[in-house]
Formats: sequence, structure tokens, C-alpha cells
Amino acid sequence: MQIKNGKDFWSGLMFMGFGIAFFVLSRDYTMGSALRMGPGYFPTVLGGILAILGLMVFARSFKSEIEHTWRIFPFNWKLFTAAVIVGIPAFILQKWMYANLGQWPVYLVNGVGIVLFFASFGKRSLYQILVITILFGYLLKPAGLVISTILLIFGAAMAGHEFKFKEVAIMAVVLAAVSSAAFVYGLGLPFPVWPELGR
Amino acid sequence: MELLHNLYIGFGVALSPINLWYAFIGCLLGTLIGVLPGIGPLATIAMLLPVTFTLNPTSALIMLAGIYYGAQYGGSTTAILVNIPGETSSAITVLDGYQMARQGRAGPALGIAALGSFIAGSAATLVIAMAAPPLAEIALKFGPAEYFSLMVLGLVGAVVLAHGSVLKAIAMIILGLLLGLVGTDVNSGVARFSFGVAELTDGLGFVGIAMGMFGYGEIILNLEKGESTEVFTAKVGKLLPSWDEFAYSTPAIIRGTVLGSILGILPGGGALLASFASYAVEKKLTKDRQKFGEGNIRGVAGPESANNAGAQTSFIPMLTLGIPSNAIMAMMIGAMMIQGIAPGPQVMTEKPQLFWGMIVSMWVGNAMLVILNLPLIGIWIKLLTVPYRILFPSILLFCTIGVYSVQNSAFDSIQTALFGLFGYFCVKTEAEPAPMLLGYILGPLMEENLRRAMLLSRGDPTVFFIRPISSVMLVFAILLLIIIILPNVRKTRDQAFVEED
Repeated sequence: MQIKNGKDFWSGLMFMGFGIAFFVLSRDYTMGSALRMGPGYFPTVLGGILAILGLMVFARSFKSEIEHTWRIFPFNWKLFTAAVIVGIPAFILQKWMYANLGQWPVYLVNGVGIVLFFASFGKRSLYQILVITILFGYLLKPAGLVISTILLIFGAAMAGHEFKFKEVAIMAVVLAAVSSAAFVYGLGLPFPVWPELGR
Repeated sequence: MELLHNLYIGFGVALSPINLWYAFIGCLLGTLIGVLPGIGPLATIAMLLPVTFTLNPTSALIMLAGIYYGAQYGGSTTAILVNIPGETSSAITVLDGYQMARQGRAGPALGIAALGSFIAGSAATLVIAMAAPPLAEIALKFGPAEYFSLMVLGLVGAVVLAHGSVLKAIAMIILGLLLGLVGTDVNSGVARFSFGVAELTDGLGFVGIAMGMFGYGEIILNLEKGESTEVFTAKVGKLLPSWDEFAYSTPAIIRGTVLGSILGILPGGGALLASFASYAVEKKLTKDRQKFGEGNIRGVAGPESANNAGAQTSFIPMLTLGIPSNAIMAMMIGAMMIQGIAPGPQVMTEKPQLFWGMIVSMWVGNAMLVILNLPLIGIWIKLLTVPYRILFPSILLFCTIGVYSVQNSAFDSIQTALFGLFGYFCVKTEAEPAPMLLGYILGPLMEENLRRAMLLSRGDPTVFFIRPISSVMLVFAILLLIIIILPNVRKTRDQAFVEED
């Protein structure tokens, strides 16, 4: 068997994965009857349909007339496996780690898992962009808008093709000023502008 | 004279200084971002949605509508000047618009696009004002069975319009419906698919999905492609088309307006379908002058009028039935719900100020865009020369701030990043993301109406085919599905989308 249409192969896998996941997870909720549908009814039916559609797309990928390589993005099995190995125990042990080790190890392990997961799907530009946005979200409260903005701009610019330090530095400062003025002072969004030291 | 009275209320709201100001800001921001290549109206609205959170609902919706029209105008400008459609519905404008620009006639092309859109927008506003009340009246008589069937029809319509594989489009819609179910079930209070994560009991954030799939996803794809080298160099010249050109375009504008207004109302319809249909019609009817695809001004005037008319009349199902006909209307519904308004036929009777104010502001917004776009074209052109390496970090910044500001939650940034990856994956595998967003909005509504319909019919599923309105809609949906699966139609549909690429 040879994969003819890589695009159908991957999307078929994805649909099947989601379909089966929703179908299986819905088993935890009451089905009810057609007359009185429980919370499990609609997702079970939809999950089943999605899994079947996914199977059809997946099967089609082996005898498609349209040819696409299966390497439509630089998928990396090793990183993906590593992400699963880190991610699943991290999820299960989350409560325990939180209680015994504090919040930082939890963040660290989850962070590593997410980075590995993103990195398994694409080039550096992909995971760098996505990771920097998550960092921004978590830094905004403790570090303030100015510092997080500068970090985001540098991180994003480095993911691009050309990186000119001077240009990026100017851009970061200008955008930090503009976003503080527009969002915090203009629109009144409740972000700290500077780090909340000693409070 | 009901109509005049309603319009009077509307003008009172829309022309109040504060709402004029928000309409203006919306149009300006929408155009500003819409002009930037690679950012469609969906991403633009998602990005600017948080800006409207602090406003009252009426001003917020007026501003969002302004953003939408602005993004569309901006998209046409990019299409004509740099041969990159800023959004799908101006994809067809590229064909003749860019050729005109190359021949040194960029000015008239931009001018006729703006004038045509304004004429079409004004006509479509009247259509909305006249069609909405009777439709809302009918909608008030709808039971859960009718609503369910209507949603099925709308979703099937979205499949017809999606690119590429029908199978994958259906799968994306169902995935969207499922994602919409994440969170607390209203009937039983069970938190579904939340994995014990507190943030997920409220459901997946709507802004996060839209921003991740259309904002982040786009940036990642653009970075992967590398910097586009095509920079605009042509001269714009005088903006207003000559009388001769205007007279020659007028029939195309009128046909475009009529076509667009009709196609916009259909479930699944909207700006995209309207512009394609209009181009096809003009191509058939026009035999003289330049060929189409070589800079015929009707090839710009028709589709641009049609897409604007379609964009406006696609508000009709959203305003009267509370059902979005395309992904952008799904965003509008999302915005309404964030503002605490349940969309549906009751909005017109309960909040006439909001309803009519919004409709009139559509016309005001269109007028503003003509005034804004023609003199400011120089600034928009300057924007086009800004290199992407400067643009994308700024876009990313506004997206991330927007995501965070919805609930002031850092968790949302993880969710959005995951949807960013998913958006990238979908584009790579040619599974269209827009129908998924539609499904996401409709998921809970559909389940709710299905449950109620089944309860009312005592568990008899034939109710959907026994009630006349419901059965007509379902039959239509089934016919549509059969039609697109037929090999013949499929071929022409594929060709239509090829032409766009």
C-alpha cells in the first residue's frame, strides 16, 4: 500500500482521531433516549459520523488520482513521541507535582511538552511563533506589558527570515509604547504596564 | 410607513456623534488592516474584536460592521494594486483589476470599485430594511424543528462553498459542531470534554479559535513561504473613472447589486459566491471592448458591487433568525453573545434601537468608506510597501493582546497557540477552516433545538419531515448535497475555484 494523496492521509487521520476521541469520551456522559437526549447523545452520534468520514478520507488517500507527497509538512516522529512521553505523565501527575513540588516544575514540564509537540509539526518559525505567544500570555501579569511586548517582538522577529537588530529594537520599543498607550490608557484594559515588584 | 419610521429610529442612533465616531474608527481600522496582504476580514475582525469589548452593544456592533466593510474595501485595494487578494471575495477582482493597474489605470479601477460598492451597499441596506421585518415575523413562528432544519441547510450551503473536497468540508463542519459542545451542557449541567480544566468548563474561547486558525495560522504559513518579492510600483493616476467608463460600468454595477443581494441572503451564501457569480455573468454578457482578464472595467465593477451587496444582505439571516450564513456572520454572532445579546428574531422587537441603528450604520459606513478610501489611497499604498518582517510581529502582538484581554487568562494563550497549529495543519492538508468556525457557533444551538424538537414530538424523528417548512428546508439541503456530489457539477465547481487560485 502506498500513500498517494498525503493531504488526505493526514486529514483523514486527524478526523478519525477527533471522531474516536469524542466518541469514546462521550461514553462517560448519559446517553438518554431519542425522546430525552442526555449530554452524551449528540456528541456520540457526531463523533461516530466524524470517525467514519475520517476513515473514508483516509482510505481514499491510498487510491487517489490526485498525488501529493505525505511529507506536506516536516513531521518529526521522534519529537512527537517525546512530546507524548513528557505530556501524558505531566497531565496525570499534575495535581501531585503541584502539591509536592510547587508550580514551577509543573510549568516547566508542561512547557517542554508543548514545545516538543509544536516542534514535531513544523519548521523553527512555526514553533517559535507559537511558543512566544504562550510565553507572552504567562508573562503579561507578572512582568507587565512593556517587557512582554519587547520579548514577543524579538521572539517573533527572530522566527522570520531577516533579523536586523536595530530595526527590531526600535520596533519593539515603539510597539511597547503604542500598546501601553492604546490598550491600557486608551481602552482601559486591566494590564500592568510594569512588573509588580515587591507587591 | 413603518419602514420610514424604523429608518428614522435608525438614523437617530447611527448619526449620533458617538456612533458616527465608532463607525469611522471601525472603517478606518478595518481598511488599515484589510489592506495588508495576507490578512482576510476574518482575521481582521478577530484581531479587532477585543477593542469593542468596552463599548455598549450598539456601538460595538456598529464598529464591528464598519471593520468588516473596511476590511473588504481594503482587500479590493490590495487585489488591484499588488495582485494579492486580501480576502477570498476579492480574489476575482484580481483578474481584471491588476491588469488595469498594469496598464496604468489603477486609479479608475479603485474608483469604480469604491463607487460600485457604495451603490450596491446603499441598495442592499434598503433590501435589509425591507426584508428583515417580515422575515423576523416568520422566524418568530419557527419551532425547534424548523430551526434545526434551517441550520442543516445553512451548513450544507457552507459545504457547497468550501474549496476542494466535499467530504473534508463536511468532516470539518462536524468537527466544528463537536468543538462547540465543549463546556457545560445547559440541560444537564455536566461539564463535557473539559478534562477537569476549569477554563474549559466555559467552552473553548471563540476568539481564541478564530485568532489561532486565521491569525496565527496565516502568519506561520507566510513565514514558511518566505517574503513575497512583488512590490507595488505602478502609478495610480487620477482616481475617478471617466464618464464613459462609468456609463459603461453602470449595467455591471446594477446586475452585480441584484445578484449579490439575492445570493447574500441564501444560507451559506455571502460575498464570495456573489462576486464569482457576477464575474461569470459579466463575462457572458460582455462581448465588446477588452476581453475579460485583460483589464475590462466591468470585471472590477460587477464583482466588487456584488460582493459588497452580498456582504450586507448576509446580515439578514443573522439579524432575523440568529443563524450565521457564513464564518464572518458567525464572528458577528460571537461578538453579540459576548455583549450579552442572544441573536434571533426577538432582537428586532426588543432592541429596535440596536437593530435599526446597525442597519442604518451600514449605509453610513459605506458612505464613509468612499470618503475615506479615495483621498487616503496614498496612505494605503504606503502601507503596502511596508515589508512583512515588520508587519508580522506587530500583527502577532495585537493578536496575543486580543486573546488575553477576552478573559484576562493566560490559559487562553495556550488554547490559541494550539488552534494556530491546527489552522496550519488544516491549510496544509486542504481541509478548509472556515466551515469549522460556522459549525462551532452552531453546535450548541443545533443540539438544543434537536433536543427540544424530539421532546415535542415525543421522540418521533419524522417530525422534521412532517412539518412543512422544516421538510422543505431539509429537502433543499439533500438536493444541494446530491447536486454537488454529481460529477458534472463537481467539475465546474472545481474549475470555478481553480480560476480563483
